Amino acid sequence: MTILLEGQEVCKNFGGLAALQRVNFLVHEGEILGLIGPNGAGKTTLFRCITGVYPPSLGKIVFMGKEINKLMPHDICVLGITNTHQVVKPFPEMTVLDNVRVGAFFGRGWVKGEVKDANKEATRVLDFTGLAPKANFLARNLTLPDRKRLEVARALATRPKLLLLDEVIAGLNATETDMMMHLIRQLRGNGITIFMVEHVMRAVLGVSDRLIVLNFGKKIAEGTPDQVATNPQVIEAYLGKSYATGQGQNSHRVTDGEIPNKTMERNNSSCSK
Amino acid sequence: MMLVKQLLCSWKVWVGVIVIAFLVLIPFLEIRGGYLQTLGFLTFLYISLSTAWNILGGYAGQISFGHATFYGLGAYTTSILILRGIPALLTIPIAGIVASFYGLLWGYPCLRLRGQYFAIATIGVGEATRLLMLNLDDLIKNNYLLKGFLQKGVLTGGATGLMLPMPPDIRTYATGFYYGVMVLMFGALLVSWWVKNGKFGLGLFAINMDMDAAETVGVNTTRYKILALMLSAFVVGISGSIYAQYVFYIDPQTVFGFPTSIAMVLMPTIGGIGTLTGPILGAVVYIVVQDRILTANLNLGFINLSLSSLHLLLYGGLLVVIILFEPKGLLGMYRRLSNLWEKHKMRFLIARGGIEKI
Repeated sequence: MTILLEGQEVCKNFGGLAALQRVNFLVHEGEILGLIGPNGAGKTTLFRCITGVYPPSLGKIVFMGKEINKLMPHDICVLGITNTHQVVKPFPEMTVLDNVRVGAFFGRGWVKGEVKDANKEATRVLDFTGLAPKANFLARNLTLPDRKRLEVARALATRPKLLLLDEVIAGLNATETDMMMHLIRQLRGNGITIFMVEHVMRAVLGVSDRLIVLNFGKKIAEGTPDQVATNPQVIEAYLGKSYATGQGQNSHRVTDGEIPNKTMERNNSSCSK
Repeated sequence: MMLVKQLLCSWKVWVGVIVIAFLVLIPFLEIRGGYLQTLGFLTFLYISLSTAWNILGGYAGQISFGHATFYGLGAYTTSILILRGIPALLTIPIAGIVASFYGLLWGYPCLRLRGQYFAIATIGVGEATRLLMLNLDDLIKNNYLLKGFLQKGVLTGGATGLMLPMPPDIRTYATGFYYGVMVLMFGALLVSWWVKNGKFGLGLFAINMDMDAAETVGVNTTRYKILALMLSAFVVGISGSIYAQYVFYIDPQTVFGFPTSIAMVLMPTIGGIGTLTGPILGAVVYIVVQDRILTANLNLGFINLSLSSLHLLLYGGLLVVIILFEPKGLLGMYRRLSNLWEKHKMRFLIARGGIEKI
């Protein structure tokens, strides 16, 4: 498989905080790569380094043989990497169709700004993502699942080679999650490589070919979903040391007993106040 | 043919034709000794200004309080060139180009700022430019290299301003400019329409709504904002040039003054920011109100107030009221009222049993 995107020793510091420390990663063409990790692990920061919003402090990011760390986000988009935002960012006062048209007009390989072509592309993407019935709604009137869909649709309209999905499933219910997973698989079927951050384990383990795990800015594991799910370091990062070292049963019982009591106490005290 | 037929049936088109025909005929009608013609000239000029400002401020959402710099620069470029013997018509595009390059000069650093910070920076630029123009003669007086630009020791004339020679037949001249500024207005509206319906405008709207999102879907935000500023500056520069040639006298306090910038912010805001017709409405209201107020006196018996000294206060108040209660301006109000009207009409029809309830 050819390598589409390669990160070499990517570091990002915010003042004294090392958000990413020497992260190496490879994205192969045509795969679905998952990126997981506890809160604050640096997943979104890594995405922002790739899309050029935060240029990496050190290290190199290479996309199809071209170094992209110094490029502006719009240049990177035109090269073929588009992301969706964790906190959805539609253009609120535009219609859904216009939102998608922005992507169609300004994305990759759009030389002539012909209104007709962009409209055709936008309609095609809307049909594909199932937003077509709501094409004339203002984006601010959409529900959350639809807004997430719109994020994906707008990103797709730029015709990316690599699509970075930042928590598109979080906050969706079971049916919507299944629909989104189906959509992601369809996208891969259309030849788009996918790199996704997700907290919903059912979705990310179900859909990804490979996973990368970050914790405190460091890559702690990489491999197939099965390998990662049984990796002691990953279990430690998510569930604590006692789980990873096999004392799980014991500590499990203890915490199980303690946590409800504590929360009850807290609830009582807040009520009495 | 279908389109023509449709156009002929629409009452809006007929109203438009009649209004335009009336405006074209104004110089021949001689209503109130040319008063209406002057008012028309000013209205067209201000419609051009507000439409131009709207491209940056309305479409791209970058509120500029420094557009008087372009207006003044256009006026000064034209005056300085005319005084040095360059044909007046040729100076008009030059004024536009100079203004738009000045826009590039300060737009590049300032447009990196966002929201209110950009607005504050433009206030600074506007005032700095005005002060520079007031003192430019003193600055270059003793400079050997720049001395060649002076004419009788004067380039910008400092606070006294510049006088242009008057033509012998002022009536025809004024009428010519009346039509000239009308063409400018239609040009500005055409540019605005073209921007609004094309790729350029889509990019500007995207920048207006969410700059980060626009950037990640491939909009080169810096370039688009600067282009919008330059386009806007070009039209404003031409307007300034025409103003200078129409009134024959300019000084920094009028053309570079802060009130001029405020006027350009106010007009689209009154009419409906970010729309095509809003700036037209706003400019008409602005000019009519200004015309009424400047000549009005408020006699309260014990005190006689000249309202002309209060007109800026009124505009400030108006701006606050509009932003608080009707941020989308007159057009927003019209849309809201017409929605209400439709709703009531529907209710009335349902109550009368005229149509089935949906």
